Amino acid sequence: MISTRFVLKRLLLLVPVLVGVASLVFSILHLSPGDPALTIAGERASEEFVRQIEESLGLNDPIWVQYGRFLVDAAQFQFGESFIIQRNTAVREVLANKLPVTLELAIYGQLIGISLGIPLGILSAVKQDSITDHLTRIGALAGISVPIFWSGPLLILLFAQVLGWLPTSGRISVLYNVEAIRVTGLVTVDTLIAGNWEMFVSAVRHMILPASVIGVYSMALISRMMRSSMLEVIRQDYMRTARAKGQGAKITVLKHGFRNAMIPVITVIGIQFGGLLGGAVLTETVFAIGGIGTLLVEAIKVGDYPIVQGTVLTFAFLFTLVNLGVDITYSVLDPRIEQ
Amino acid sequence: MSTETTTTNETAADVNQRGLIDRLTASPFVSRLLSNRLALAGIAIIVAMVVAALYARLFLDLEVITQSQLGTNPNRAAPSLDFPFGTDGQARSLLPRVAYGAWYAMLFGTVTVAASTVLGVGLGIVAAYYSDVTDNVIMRTMDVLLAFPSLLLALALVAIFPDELGLWRAVAALTLVYTPRFARVVRGAALTVLENEYIDATVALGAADPRVLIRHVLPNCLAPITVQSTLNFGLAIIDLAALSFLGFGAEAGTPSWGLMLSNGVSQGLLTGVWWWSFFPGFFLALTVLGFNLLGDGMRDALDPRMREAVD
Repeated sequence: MISTRFVLKRLLLLVPVLVGVASLVFSILHLSPGDPALTIAGERASEEFVRQIEESLGLNDPIWVQYGRFLVDAAQFQFGESFIIQRNTAVREVLANKLPVTLELAIYGQLIGISLGIPLGILSAVKQDSITDHLTRIGALAGISVPIFWSGPLLILLFAQVLGWLPTSGRISVLYNVEAIRVTGLVTVDTLIAGNWEMFVSAVRHMILPASVIGVYSMALISRMMRSSMLEVIRQDYMRTARAKGQGAKITVLKHGFRNAMIPVITVIGIQFGGLLGGAVLTETVFAIGGIGTLLVEAIKVGDYPIVQGTVLTFAFLFTLVNLGVDITYSVLDPRIEQ
Repeated sequence: MSTETTTTNETAADVNQRGLIDRLTASPFVSRLLSNRLALAGIAIIVAMVVAALYARLFLDLEVITQSQLGTNPNRAAPSLDFPFGTDGQARSLLPRVAYGAWYAMLFGTVTVAASTVLGVGLGIVAAYYSDVTDNVIMRTMDVLLAFPSLLLALALVAIFPDELGLWRAVAALTLVYTPRFARVVRGAALTVLENEYIDATVALGAADPRVLIRHVLPNCLAPITVQSTLNFGLAIIDLAALSFLGFGAEAGTPSWGLMLSNGVSQGLLTGVWWWSFFPGFFLALTVLGFNLLGDGMRDALDPRMREAVD
């Protein structure tokens, strides 16, 4: 079982990384060209007004004071107010609104990837060098080579434009007001809670294409790792022993092989989740979904620094948490790792 | 440096050169790689793309490709014999533009991978050799860089560089993003190499640190470095295109694949103009596939365990 000490140790190790992450974000934004005060005030504002804003943002303080304040604020998830995109709204609020959109997409994509990738990888390993294996491997390689911003548009053209089976973009039909029934922010969940079947169907139909694009990519990565990991495990002595004592091939692979082969696969799933968060920027752009990814791109373009800071730090924080989750899962699968 | 050492270096180089072909054909790695049909397909794709890239760079006029051809060519024409990939919203033929995209992908991809390899290898070897504080400072910094999803960090970094740099700012950002991966791989490999007795012997003979690192540690880490570079090549080409796609790379009008795809999505999608997205994306995916096929083949060739049959 997982010991509390192990988890605490891991959590403590996170602190320096997170401080480093925050420092990097702080330096990136201070190195960026562009004057935040001028961005808020507008090009034609009087000099005095610009000075006033500088003063209120604390931009005249020494850099160390600003840095210290930033770290203290960041530790409390306080990133100030948005300059431009949603003026005078707390960044925290903007993020809380958009984050579920991105998470929902990532979760469905990852579910598709895991549920297809793991069985395909096992099949490929067990039938090494068969036609199934070759097809799976080539398919997986093609899957990681095709960029989301190509497969996405092609699927939209085929399923939405030519066949007309699925909607082109967005999260739900514009006829429905999702904000009115908002509970979790996950549109497929909220529509179910509201008990509105038609809205739920619309939400699911909108989710199919973007989630599949993400899912195919993550399926490719997971099946590759599952295959090579399973190939290694299959050759272990304990597998031969299990077969020698008369256990069936299927049970041996699923009972002894699976658990041991999962360790590297879980790493890939974890890393892949980070990739999904980064890839969300692309998927959301292609499918015109207003999540945290499109928010970041817009914020960088218009120079809304508090939003950029908040978004990048939230992404890094989530990514680090997922990695912590991966470490803890390791120790459950293989208790020796704890030592 | 004494004359004696120089002479030794020269003879060593001579021997290397004379036996290069023989040594390559005798190498189990190369023969294993060449017997892998998928890796060969990868090599074929890469060679074809390099040829296309060089052709575009040498024989196509960038000014003609970027200029609007309205009035001369049909606008938004579907692929035909005259315009095999169709024309875009400014009546420019897409075929030469897509070909020129290969040059951009290869050029900027190579620079990105080369720069991050050099940086990462340097940092990784130094971290492994000097251990303690140096190791900790370098590797903890790498950990911080690795704590970000890669495309996201690239996006944040791109903002530092002025817009005028165009694709070069994407190159700079991605170089910083990829460096930690190389540093990790190389540090691991170098730590194993440093365990060897010949390293102790070299140090005992009085070799200076740079000599130990460059002549003895580096050559023995080349295998994992090459695999990592090859696999990273595909990633670099995708990420460069992704940054352009999002508007943080190539300047408007530049025939880069990412930019052409962005145009295809923002303007061609709802009007059903499929060829704006299809062709640039197809060659982008094909190039990446080529590097991934080769990289996979190299990794398998280096790892003989993967070749044993299972009973």
